[in-house]
Amino acid sequence: MVVGDIAVETEVVVIGGGPGGYVAAIRAAQLGKDVTLIDKDTVGGVCLNRGCIPSKALIHAAKTASSARKADVMGIKVSGVEVDMEQVQVWKGGVVQKLTGGVSSLLKANGVHVVSGNAVIMADNRIGVETAKGMEYFKFEHCILATGSRPVQLPAFPFDGEYILSSTEALTLTEVPSSLLVLGGGYIGLELGTAYAKLGSQVTVIEMGPNLLPGVDPALVQIVKKNLKKLGVEILTQAAASKYEVREGKLQVTVDVQGQEQVLRADKMLVTVGRRPNTEELGLEQVGLQPDARGFLETDAQMRTQHPNIYAIGDITHGPMLAHKASKEGIVAAEAIAGHQSAMDPVGIPAVIFTDPEIATVGLSESQAKEQGVRVVTGKFPFAANGRALTTNDGDGFCTVVAEAQTGVVLGVHIVGPEASTLIGEATLALEMGATLEDFHLTVHPHPTLTEVLMEAAADADGVAVHIAKRR
Amino acid sequence: MTVAFKLPDVGEGIHEAEIVRWLVNVGDSVREFDPIVEVQTDKALVELPAPTTGTILEIKAEAGHLAHVGDVIVVFGNPGEAAAEAPSANTGTAEAYVSAASGTAASATAAAVSAPQSSASVSHPAGRPLATPATRKLARELSVDLKLVPGTGKAGRITKEDVQRFHADGASGSVSAAPAADESPSVATAPAAKTVAPTPAPAPLTPGAPGTEERVALRGLRRTIAQRMVHSAFTAPHVTAFDDVDMTELIQYRKRANEVLADRNIKLTYLPFLLKALVSALKAFPYLNAHMDDAAGEIVLKKDYNLGIAVDTPDGLLVPVVKHVDRKSILDLAAEIKTLVDKTQSRTLDVSEMKGGTFTISNMGPIGGLFATPILNYPEVGILGIHKIEEKPVVRNGEIVIRSMMNLSLSFDHRVIDGATAVRFMNHMKRLLENPNLMFLEMN
Repeated sequence: MVVGDIAVETEVVVIGGGPGGYVAAIRAAQLGKDVTLIDKDTVGGVCLNRGCIPSKALIHAAKTASSARKADVMGIKVSGVEVDMEQVQVWKGGVVQKLTGGVSSLLKANGVHVVSGNAVIMADNRIGVETAKGMEYFKFEHCILATGSRPVQLPAFPFDGEYILSSTEALTLTEVPSSLLVLGGGYIGLELGTAYAKLGSQVTVIEMGPNLLPGVDPALVQIVKKNLKKLGVEILTQAAASKYEVREGKLQVTVDVQGQEQVLRADKMLVTVGRRPNTEELGLEQVGLQPDARGFLETDAQMRTQHPNIYAIGDITHGPMLAHKASKEGIVAAEAIAGHQSAMDPVGIPAVIFTDPEIATVGLSESQAKEQGVRVVTGKFPFAANGRALTTNDGDGFCTVVAEAQTGVVLGVHIVGPEASTLIGEATLALEMGATLEDFHLTVHPHPTLTEVLMEAAADADGVAVHIAKRR
Repeated sequence: MTVAFKLPDVGEGIHEAEIVRWLVNVGDSVREFDPIVEVQTDKALVELPAPTTGTILEIKAEAGHLAHVGDVIVVFGNPGEAAAEAPSANTGTAEAYVSAASGTAASATAAAVSAPQSSASVSHPAGRPLATPATRKLARELSVDLKLVPGTGKAGRITKEDVQRFHADGASGSVSAAPAADESPSVATAPAAKTVAPTPAPAPLTPGAPGTEERVALRGLRRTIAQRMVHSAFTAPHVTAFDDVDMTELIQYRKRANEVLADRNIKLTYLPFLLKALVSALKAFPYLNAHMDDAAGEIVLKKDYNLGIAVDTPDGLLVPVVKHVDRKSILDLAAEIKTLVDKTQSRTLDVSEMKGGTFTISNMGPIGGLFATPILNYPEVGILGIHKIEEKPVVRNGEIVIRSMMNLSLSFDHRVIDGATAVRFMNHMKRLLENPNLMFLEMN
C-alpha cells in the first residue's frame, strides 16, 4: 500500500476480530461482500486470547489437579500432585494458538482481507488504520464496530502486572501465587479464584455487595459458595479495598469489612470489578455517534447505530457482555447489510459461569417472571438423584425449570451443577422453540446422562417426576 | 432525567399515524404545550404538543415514518441536558400525552373514550408470540407482525403455516395478491425488524423506463382511503340505483328563503334540504340507517341520524359527520355544514367530528357528471350521490316542459337491503324534494 491518501475501497469494514467481528466478517463475505477486518492484535479477540478460552483451559487444568487429589474416594490413589505452571501455560498457549489459527484460516478461506492496526473512523465512509507500515485508508459502504471491552481499572489499584493483576495477566502467570486476593466477586473473579485455589493458592474473595455473583439467583450461588469454602477460599462480603502497599515483595491491602478495617497480605491481587466498552478513540464523533455515559452504543434490532451505515455489535452494545451474544449480533449485522430481514430477537441469551459447580441460566427466573405478572409453576431436580452425576462424583447442584402456569410454556431454566454450561444448550433451544413442560418430559432423554435432570425438573413442575418424591 | 414521548392514542381506535412534519429539531428547547410535531392519522392532521418543558434530545421517528401508538417518537431531557444520557426507550419515564390545549389537536374527550378500543393484537401466553426462530424469520421476511397472528399450535404456538396464512389473507384484498417473493430492501431505508409494518407487502411492479413514470408513495390519507375502499368494495356487495328529481319547486323555495335571509347575511345551499329529506326517508326505511356488523353477523339499526358529507380536499376525500340531523333546523344545519366543510378543507377537523356516521351523502353537483356508483362508507349500508341540477326537457301532462332536474345515485349493501326497498326509499325522498311543503310538514 502506497503511503498517502489513496483509500482502498471495500464494501464492509469490520473493526475488531473477536467473536463478534470475525463472525460478522465471515458471514458478510459468505453473502458476497468484499470485507476488510481490522484488528489491533491477534484475531479471536479477548475471547480466544485473553478470556473465555484461556480461562477455561486454566480452569480445566486446575480441575484435573483437584480431581486427582479427590480421586481416592473412588479408590484411585494419587500422591504428590504437582502443578507445573509453566507447562500449564504452554498447553494453554497451544490451545489458543490452534483456535486463533483456525479463525485466521477461516477468514482467509472466505476471502476476508485482514489488516493489523489501530482503526479510527475519519468520515461517513472512510477509515484510517495505523499499521506497522504507516497509515492506510479504507473507503467503505458499511462498517461494523466490534471493538469489545476491557477490564475496568480502579484508580487505587492500577494494574502493574506484578502485584495488581487484571484478568489478562492472571491468565498468564507462570507460577502459582501462594496467596491471591480477588477483588470483585463476579463471575470472572470467581472462575479464576476457583482455578487458583485448586492450583494451590490461598484465595480470598473481596466482594463489595452482600452476595457473590450479583445478579445471579442466590439459591444457585449458595451451592458455589459452599464449595468455595470447601476449597478453603475465604469470602469477605460487604468489603471494600481502599489502598495497598508492597512490603518485602508482599502486598498489604487495606480492606474495610463490614465496617471494620483489616489489612490483608498476599502475593498478588486480581481486580475483576467489571469491564468497559472500547468506544473511546475510535473517531465516533467524526460521524456523530456518541456512546452513553457507560460507553455503550445504542442500536436497533438489526444492530444499526443511529448512523445508517454503521453497525455495532458485541460488548459495546447493551446487554450482557458475552461472546455468543456478540457472534449472533455479528451474523445479524452482516445479514442486514446484505439486505436480509435478520434481527436480534432471541427469547433468551444463555449465561454460563465456570465456577465449581458450574452455573448456567437462560430465560426468566421465578421472581423475574412474577415481577412481570406471569403466573408460574416451577420444577426442581437435584443432581444428587441423577445416576450419571454420581458416577462422576459430582452430585452437587440442581436444575430449576420455570414455566407459565396455564400453558406450561417454559420461561426459564436455571442450573447449578456439573456440565451446566453444556446442559443449558438444550434449554435454550427449548425456549426458542416455545417448548412446554410436556415437550421436555415427553422427550426421551438418554440414560445415564446429566440431561435427564432437565426432563425430571420439567416433569416435577407437572407433578409427574419419577425419580423424586412428590413435593406437594 | 429524560422523558420518552410515545405516540399517544390521538383518537378513537387509531393505532398508527404518519409523522408529517417535526416543528422542532434536536437540541431545541421547548415549553410544555408547545406544538412539536404534526401527525397524520387515518382521519386528520393532528398537532401534538410537548408533554413537558425541556430539550429535544432525540427524534426517534423521522418525517414520513409510520409510527404506532405507544412507539417512542421523541425523547426529552431537562433543559440544557445533553443527549448522552438519554436512556433506551423502554426505561424512560414515558407517558402518553394528549393535548386538550391546541385547537387543532384531538380533543381530550376523544382520547378519553378511546381507551376500550384495543388493537387487533392477539393475546399470547407468556407475554410474547410463541414462534420458533425460523418462523420469526419468515414473519420478518413477509413483514408480518407476529403479535397479530393467532397461533394454531400447542399452547398457542404460531406455526410457519399460520404466518403464511395470515400473510395471504392480509394480501387477498389488495390488487396484487402475490406474496413478496424477491424482496431486497435497500439497507439504508430498511426498517428495523422491531418495527416491521403490519401490512403485508405486495410484489413490486416492474418499474417502467426512466423518466416515463413517477412513483408516489401511498401515504397518509391516500393510504387510508385506499385501505377503506378496498375493504368496503370487497366486503359489501354494492348495488347502485339511479333516479332523477324535479327540483323546480325547491329552487323556488330556496330563492325566497335566501331573499328573506339576505339581511342576516345567510345563504342557504340545497344541502340542508337534502339532509332533511334524507332523514325522513331513513326514518321510513330504518334498514338504510344501519351498520353491518360482520364480526357479529348482525345488522345494527341506528337510532341516531348522523349524516356524513363527503368533502373533497387536496389530500383526498374526508367525511365529516353532521350529528342528529333530525333534531336540527335547516338554518342550524346550514351553519354546521359550513363550519365542518371549512374545517375539513383546512384539515383542522377533530377526529370525533368524523366518527359516528350512520349514512353518507356525496355531493358531486358542484363538479359535474351525470351519475356515479359511490362506494359505501363501510360499515354503513347506504350512500347517496347527488348530482348537478340542470334544466332539462321533461314531459308533464303530455307536454314537453323545461324543469330543473337533479340525478341521484344510491349505492347500498345488498346483504342488508334489496333493490325494491332502495327504490322505495328513493321514491320517498323524491316525493319530499319535489313537494317541499310536504317535507316541512314532516319536520320536528
